[in-house]
Amino acid sequence: MAPDIPPDRHGFRNTYRAELEQLRLQTEMMGVLVDQNLERVGRLLRDGDMDAASAAIGADDAIDAMNVSLTERCYEVLAREAPVASDLRLVVSVIRVISEFERVGDLALRVAKLAPDLALLRSVDRCFDILLAMSDEATEHFRTALRAWATGDLGVAEQAAEPSAWMELYYEQLLDSLLRVSGPDGVRAALRALVAGRAFDRIADHASIIGSRVRYLATGDPDHLAAEVR
Amino acid sequence: MNDAVVGGSPTTTPRQGSPDRSVLAPTPTPREVPMPVDTGAAPIPNPAPADRSSNVFDINDLDVYYGPFRAVRDVRLEIKEREITAFIGPSGCGKTTVLRCLNRMNDLIASCRVNGDIRYHGIDLLGDDIDPVEVRRRIGMVFQKPNPFPKSIYDNVAFGPKIGGVKDKATLDGIVESALTKAALWDEVKDRLKTSAMGMSGGQQQRLCIARTIAVQPDVVLMDEPCSALDPIATARIEDLMQELKSDYTIVIVTHNMQQAARVSDRTAFFTAEVNPDSDSRTGILVEYDATDKMFSNPSDQRTENYVTGRFG
Repeated sequence: MAPDIPPDRHGFRNTYRAELEQLRLQTEMMGVLVDQNLERVGRLLRDGDMDAASAAIGADDAIDAMNVSLTERCYEVLAREAPVASDLRLVVSVIRVISEFERVGDLALRVAKLAPDLALLRSVDRCFDILLAMSDEATEHFRTALRAWATGDLGVAEQAAEPSAWMELYYEQLLDSLLRVSGPDGVRAALRALVAGRAFDRIADHASIIGSRVRYLATGDPDHLAAEVR
Repeated sequence: MNDAVVGGSPTTTPRQGSPDRSVLAPTPTPREVPMPVDTGAAPIPNPAPADRSSNVFDINDLDVYYGPFRAVRDVRLEIKEREITAFIGPSGCGKTTVLRCLNRMNDLIASCRVNGDIRYHGIDLLGDDIDPVEVRRRIGMVFQKPNPFPKSIYDNVAFGPKIGGVKDKATLDGIVESALTKAALWDEVKDRLKTSAMGMSGGQQQRLCIARTIAVQPDVVLMDEPCSALDPIATARIEDLMQELKSDYTIVIVTHNMQQAARVSDRTAFFTAEVNPDSDSRTGILVEYDATDKMFSNPSDQRTENYVTGRFG
């Protein structure tokens, strides 16, 4: 017979519960900051918005700071409250997901820092079109992962965990077209396009890892951990 | 009277995913020959080696009443040999009551009635022809509060074997040394065996009680919150000791300390109390019984999850 009173009204350890909820929300906040930077990178590539690039570079410090402070808070909860079961899964998942967010933030930054060479990137039409598609796909995939974290929804998590077939295709096309780049600035342009393309490809990988992690958080099934290291 | 509390379907959850015994169980070692005990009743036959790799206890449909009040109902679980099984749950959930059934300690309470089936190595433990004294020799108990006799350290440990008929001084000395060594106490007390046990620290007294229990070479050691009166260091010593004793004994421990259950046990049984709406009395039920890893990482029952995470209980 389950207790008649819902657990949250019958609750104990209320400070602890509030801190767990804060960790979950702050992680989501950090994901939103990363999402904004991906959006800025998209504006840089699409519209040549240099202000967006410098704003992204500035915002990355906040992302890094959140990574450090949330990690510390997780360690403190582990030390003081010894969480178990779904609580433990939440704390270790926060630790994992914020480091994925931080990594995605760095990869976005890598593209933002290509801003001075934007004209050069644009000079290779075909490559640049692929990069724009990759940017959109990376952002979209990351958003699915962030939505999975925010909702804890297993279906969304499974969607996010699935590797992006589009991204794989785009990356192959990019490599293929880079081989055909010629002209005096061809190598310089190709190298930069490769940096950006690899960054977008990796961002989609990290989004898949976040999706797998949310799936594990929801189910506790160790098989879902294995999916993270694919 | 009893029918009032019978209503409702059984809520015990069948155990799932029992762990691979070959991983959890140490290789069985040959048992020592039991000491001769003249109890006047037929001794329990020593189980065949094949049975030793199986369950020590099979408990089925266990109900315990104190007078008209049903304290525990429908408990069903198996306790595996040479494992540590922990019973956890809020106060009044019946975990100590169930533990006390395992060596018929409840016989000592006049109003207590035990229904159901407890098999000890396949033998009906509750049967009329079973001698409870012999049961308690094979299935020893360590209590919450250390309770040494007001005698010397030596006499505390030698007491059981002497009652059991061991008279030879050298044999007794050997038993005392062996029991104190197994209880991780020998080095601390070997030079003052003749001094009173009452002068020892609480942690030492509890280890002495464990030595006293294992001096009669039991098969099972039951522990009823053995560390709740001890400081963290003494607790850690008892927990280390349990891991060492596990290679020779089956241990069942009742604990209020969930971290302790998580640290020391192979399997955990979670009990809770359900309130009877008619009489406001509480009856203990077994909610979930599974590998400890599972119980503390991803329990199957929401009530277990709520209890281990501190949301309820």
